[in-house]
Amino acid sequence: MPPANVTKKSSATKAVRKTAKSQAETDDIEEWKRAKQLLKPKDQLELNELELKETIGKQLVSTNNRLPDSLIEFSYAQGTFIPIPSPGNVVVSFEQQGTLLHKDSEEARQQMLEMGIDPLTYQTSVETIYEPEAEAEVPSETAEPSVAPEGEGDTTEGGTQTEEGKEEEEGAEGTAEKPPEEKPEEEDEEGEGETVIKATVKPAAKGGRPRKLTNQFNFCERAALTYNNPVRSQETQTIPPPMANFSANVLQWVIYDAYQEDFAAQQLEKELERERKEKEKMSIGKPSQPKKAAMGRAQLSEAVQGRVLECWRVLERMINQNTFNDIAKDYRYWDDPSDEYRDEEGTLLPLWKFTYDKTKKHTVTDMEWNPFYYDLFAVCFGFLDYMKPLQAGAVCLFTLKNPSFPDYICVTDSGVMCVDTHAKYPYMVVIGLYDGSVEVWNVHATCTMPAYRSNSVTNKHRGIVWEVKWAPDLPDGELNFFSVAADGKINNWVLMQNELAVTTIITLFLDKDPASGPDGTLLRAIACASCVKLHPDKPLVYLVGTEEGHIYKCSTAYSSTYLMTYYAHTMPVCRIDFNRYNTDIFISCSADWRIKIWEDERQEPLFVFDVGDRVGDVKWAPYSSTVFAAVTAEGRVYVFDLNVNKYKPICVQAIVSRRKNKVTRISFNPKLPILIVGDDKGCVTTLKLSPNLRIMCKAPKKQQHLDQWTLQCMKLDKLLALVREPVTLTLPEDTAGSEDS
Amino acid sequence: MAEGEPKEKTEDTKKVVHTYPLIRHSDMPEETKIESMELVVTACEKHSSNNEAAARMIKEEMDKKFGPPFHVVVGEGFGFEISYECSNLLYMFFGGNLAICIWKC
Repeated sequence: MPPANVTKKSSATKAVRKTAKSQAETDDIEEWKRAKQLLKPKDQLELNELELKETIGKQLVSTNNRLPDSLIEFSYAQGTFIPIPSPGNVVVSFEQQGTLLHKDSEEARQQMLEMGIDPLTYQTSVETIYEPEAEAEVPSETAEPSVAPEGEGDTTEGGTQTEEGKEEEEGAEGTAEKPPEEKPEEEDEEGEGETVIKATVKPAAKGGRPRKLTNQFNFCERAALTYNNPVRSQETQTIPPPMANFSANVLQWVIYDAYQEDFAAQQLEKELERERKEKEKMSIGKPSQPKKAAMGRAQLSEAVQGRVLECWRVLERMINQNTFNDIAKDYRYWDDPSDEYRDEEGTLLPLWKFTYDKTKKHTVTDMEWNPFYYDLFAVCFGFLDYMKPLQAGAVCLFTLKNPSFPDYICVTDSGVMCVDTHAKYPYMVVIGLYDGSVEVWNVHATCTMPAYRSNSVTNKHRGIVWEVKWAPDLPDGELNFFSVAADGKINNWVLMQNELAVTTIITLFLDKDPASGPDGTLLRAIACASCVKLHPDKPLVYLVGTEEGHIYKCSTAYSSTYLMTYYAHTMPVCRIDFNRYNTDIFISCSADWRIKIWEDERQEPLFVFDVGDRVGDVKWAPYSSTVFAAVTAEGRVYVFDLNVNKYKPICVQAIVSRRKNKVTRISFNPKLPILIVGDDKGCVTTLKLSPNLRIMCKAPKKQQHLDQWTLQCMKLDKLLALVREPVTLTLPEDTAGSEDS
Repeated sequence: MAEGEPKEKTEDTKKVVHTYPLIRHSDMPEETKIESMELVVTACEKHSSNNEAAARMIKEEMDKKFGPPFHVVVGEGFGFEISYECSNLLYMFFGGNLAICIWKC
């Protein structure tokens, strides 16, 4: 090996080269590193170009000159530092423990003895097998080569196997050869002086049979047995959930049919619902509820009672017809024959008298014929003598077919002052009470309680309700009516689902200046309404009569002003009635003894009649445009026909005794030539008009084609033309001249 | 029916197509029925062209809401004979041409 000069700079150059190399490597891969400054050890020498180029020789030697020569170690046992042997020049680079043993080594010898082989004989026997080799190596100390070639080619296991096989052979051989060879062996041993071997040989010689080596892979594991827990089986069974089967077939037509069917059912349902609603509306809320509540036996007994009642009613009518047979015939057929001989005068024939025992002390405050059943009429029982108030009141519906007892009796807790029957639903009866409340009765459903009742505290008039009138139905079919009362208010009531909704249309004020109270507050005088009449043609317009004697023409569209004010009477207006043929004409009556006929938009009345007593009621006849009837407090009925006599009534007849009774109301039957007159003893008298009182128009010869209606209108127009004052009044020429003045 | 179903009527006088959900047979409690029906409507409207997806959605939702195992069939034409756990069956039509059968077993 050539000698090398190791300089101090070698390590430095190495480092530089290394960094340069790594730099080249990372050049393309890790470019980002380039920007970094290279880290150098601090003590690195800075070399110039020349120094770097300097060649440094290196010398290799067989001895490690860096080896430390005096290593020591502290020994705790001796308490001193002791030198440790030098590690030498050998550097172990690889070391592996083999399984092969040298034949002559201590361990091999031990092993052989354990197997019961005499190492010496083993040597010779091997020599005999491998003679050529053995001879060459015998001179050398051990029989090493004999084992080595065997072990070299085989794995450890294979080695052991072959060994074992050989051992067996050798064992057999050994037993055979032992006796002769024992001696020389012992001699050899003695000669060599190895006591250890001696000791080990003995047992092997004794046992004779070689002991087998334990196979480290053939082992038995010790295990402990613990108690096993006893196994027990337990079962439980639940009830399976209920199952059911279902099957169907889905086809397009099945789906279509199902939809059709369902839709039809829905439509039907809707139809029924609507019908039910309609019915409910007719029966109006409350009456249907008690019906529902009464179930089972009660319902049954009610039904039975109802049928029995029906039978009794028929029977009652039959008896009445028998009892009042002559009256019934008169009512139907009798006309006063004397009329033919009397010009321009007629008579009234009294027929039945209708009374109800419980209301004999009451005054008949209002009467109205049913618009649907010509023989049925409603009578209100209240009182007009405020000094003797009565506790209860009633509305009775009488029929001409049964004069002895009312068909329907609706008892109220206050005097009934007015009534009106709905034109479309003839069983809906609205009444106004003395205490200011209004009630709607559905006599068809029940007569025990009102279908609607205004709240007696918050929702009522603060005065006597003088008149109620059904208004045309609202667009959505709700029933509504107007009421006028002494508090000067006109209310519109709408029948909602189960209550009355009220709207005040107008509060009537007098035209006077507000009166100042003691504390300076100004009070506007309120006009006390006493009667109202809706215009038959114009739904917005209505006339109100007041206790001050004025008649206001109002519209529901205006709540503060009057369309017109008629200063009609000096006493309370009792009744206003529109003429059926010419709706511009209306009649009014008052307690100031006068009956006046008015034309719309004309301040002055067309006709004025003084009948000499308080006029309680006046009505136009339905059959003629010029006939009207009035009743006075002294018990007389006046019938006028303007076409016959413009100044005097054509019939004046006392109905009740003058001293005891007063007649209060009158009403024409819309179909029959019959009047009903109510008095203050709770009695209603039926009167038949004689032929002279109901003269129909005769068509002139030239105008035969005209119907009765036109003729009646013409008749009235002709009459009115006579009394109307011209628009511009031209005074007739004063023929007498100025001499008088 | 009590529910306010959306109704679609073609004005054609002859052919009226109804698409509202129509329950043909069900023994579910009322609330469950309504809920399931709404679920079916939602699923079928969401997957109007994919009955399988609709069925899957219904099944998964039903499993989640009322506990598995539910089975759902959505289709325009099929026949079935099933055993089901009582009060867990809904057989209905929807959209005019779909039949939906839901049951638990």
